[in-house]
Amino acid sequence: MKCTRCKAKAVVALPRHNAGFCRNCFLEYFSRQVQKAISKHKMFGPKDKILIALSGGKDSLALALQLKLLGYNVSCLHLDLDIPNSSKPILSLVQKFAARFELPLFVLHLKQEGLSIPKVKAKLSRPICSACGQIKRYYFNQFALENNFKVLATGHNLDDEVARLFANTLRWDLTYLGEQSPVLKAEHTFVTKVKPLYRLTEFETAVFCFLQNIDYSLQACPYSQGASFSFYKKLFDQLEEHQPGRKLNFYESFLEKALPVFGQKQSPTTLKLCPLCAYPTSGEICGVCRIKNICTPHKNNL
Amino acid sequence: MKLILEPENKELEITKVKTVRGLLNKLGLNSTQALVIRDGQLLTPDEKLFPKDVVKVRKVASRG
Repeated sequence: MKCTRCKAKAVVALPRHNAGFCRNCFLEYFSRQVQKAISKHKMFGPKDKILIALSGGKDSLALALQLKLLGYNVSCLHLDLDIPNSSKPILSLVQKFAARFELPLFVLHLKQEGLSIPKVKAKLSRPICSACGQIKRYYFNQFALENNFKVLATGHNLDDEVARLFANTLRWDLTYLGEQSPVLKAEHTFVTKVKPLYRLTEFETAVFCFLQNIDYSLQACPYSQGASFSFYKKLFDQLEEHQPGRKLNFYESFLEKALPVFGQKQSPTTLKLCPLCAYPTSGEICGVCRIKNICTPHKNNL
Repeated sequence: MKLILEPENKELEITKVKTVRGLLNKLGLNSTQALVIRDGQLLTPDEKLFPKDVVKVRKVASRG
């Protein structure tokens, strides 16, 4: 197969674009897709301070490097979840990545916050993935606010967004459907959240990491087995195989035609500030303070 | 042909496979569900494979 752009030998085939690319042309394609997402949704400008949620997986590492290569002002935050046989090797990998590409890296250890994930899992009766996600969102937002970052960028890719949209659609969850977007503008004490990789598939972020020689974590989270999003991703892979381009078309059409409708139907949720930590919440205290109370009842009790 | 499956790090011997596309079909994978790597190079689905090859198949789906 030859590169569609320069006719050199291709190293990657992208059926959804009916194209093949050599290394350099693929990296150019990748960069352009990210720039298109940023400019189309006015995610941020060249002078904005951007915090990247760096998990150690291929998507967040690819995002951090690509934004740096584009000249944006980026720093990274990694949350150490304290999961045995998992968190330490990932932290080491993230530190090596940041050092190699000269990216400022901050690390927050959840154990020091009383929220070691294995401990939270043992104490809570609800699924750990939802609590872990809630804790991560909380600390990424809090860190961004406290350190004057204008934008929090995450490595969600097209497969993530399509699986989420499909899950929301299966439930006709009007609230979530009205909020799903590559940009969530700042409000209350939430910073702006953006997903610059939303036009790229996870195959493409894996190719990017391979071609840039980025070592990323292939390890599964030991607690994430049976996640429904993985099943939805497989369904959409089958659809994409038969109808190349369907994933991006489904998501972009949603953004263009359906989001404005679902967004209008929202009745605004009244949020107040958590009396313990000042995080916006619709309850008496915020979700993370509730988890803290369950994990360490002597602290933070109202 | 020797096959290394990632992320499982499982090694297999595979026979009667002549192309990358044929290998992926045999593994039940689409062409965009895995990277196929030989001698440190990515392979497109049309590439030929040979009995003495050592090939890595790295599945790309996030695992949580």
